[in-house]
Amino acid sequence: MSSQSNARNSLRNTQPPYLHPAYVSTQKRAPLKPLILLPENLSHASGPVFGHETVQASDADLTRQHSGEPLGERILVSGRVLDEEGRPVRGALIELWQANAAGRYRHDLDNHAAPLDPNFTGCGRVLTDDQGAYSFVSIKPGAYPWRNHENGWRPAHIHFSLFGAGILSRLVTQMYFPGDPLFARDPIFNSIPDEAARARLISVFDWQTTKAEYALGYRFDIVLRGEKSTPMETSHP
Amino acid sequence: MKLIPTASQTIGPFFSIGLAKLQQNTEASIASWPNGATLQGVVSDGDGNPIPDGVLEFFANNYFARVPTDAAGRFQVIVAPSVTCYEVLVFMRGLLLPALTRVYLEESAAKSDLALAAVPKERIPTLLAHATSTPRQFHWNVKMQGEDETVFFET
Repeated sequence: MSSQSNARNSLRNTQPPYLHPAYVSTQKRAPLKPLILLPENLSHASGPVFGHETVQASDADLTRQHSGEPLGERILVSGRVLDEEGRPVRGALIELWQANAAGRYRHDLDNHAAPLDPNFTGCGRVLTDDQGAYSFVSIKPGAYPWRNHENGWRPAHIHFSLFGAGILSRLVTQMYFPGDPLFARDPIFNSIPDEAARARLISVFDWQTTKAEYALGYRFDIVLRGEKSTPMETSHP
Repeated sequence: MKLIPTASQTIGPFFSIGLAKLQQNTEASIASWPNGATLQGVVSDGDGNPIPDGVLEFFANNYFARVPTDAAGRFQVIVAPSVTCYEVLVFMRGLLLPALTRVYLEESAAKSDLALAAVPKERIPTLLAHATSTPRQFHWNVKMQGEDETVFFET
């Protein structure tokens, strides 16, 4: 095996596969036929720059979107968005969503018997600055049950959706919290074969950004693919 | 030393909380874009069941549209008829990373596209939208699995 294909294989293990049977919903939804490799010189659509007209500073504070404050542990999440060369991704739109402190989403289809919080929607948006940095204030989401497997519970997480320079840098992921006892049995977290890549989805508690008498700081840095990086090979059954 | 891209995770079932703001308002688009074309279809799983919790993103140069599927797995998006090919990212609960496909509004555009040289001939029809009897209305289904699984590309 060439060193290049070794590199590709090790990179492949840093992303989940489509089919991961332990996550039951993948079984009927994962593409099963071989993926087609597009020519390397193909320029992908770049799309417009998103959302700058509509993102407001208040969108980055999920605790101040209602008349009162939400219940829960206030957190300040911050980090940088970089490309594979370590350069800041400036002006990237980050869309966020999460459950409330009780582990309940404000969504018609969430029937978990935990209370809704009238002061929490769980939706945020923020743009990265010239250093690729972002921050937002929220409350720590609760774990919640799901029916994927016997006594299944998702570890607490915040959903992140990011736009970089174009379609290949598009990323949707989940940020987790350190020390969560639910990691070991979570098939979504464990769908990523590479242990270090999984660990990078776990935010780091950070005294530097913890605000005295206000909020606990967590850091979560994100790396987006460049548009011209080597396409990854994906295995199929 | 290159940095390793952050791992992808599923959007899960409750993505509309965070993603609705960028969704295309198709009613408004029809009103404000009378020359636009309508592309509609159904997203279905390996059993042929409609997928009610998916979201599609359409990309062309300087064009972007995000539309969710409804309870019957249907989506509708307003596109520019002058653009004959869109790149499409498919997201849903059960997809740990987005599936990349393409839709062509004209068969000739697909047949002449060198990008499709590696696609087996018999699978190319999965990338073609069909004109309906209504002017400027096209139909295209997305099948995640099965004999006629939609062609998905490496990302």
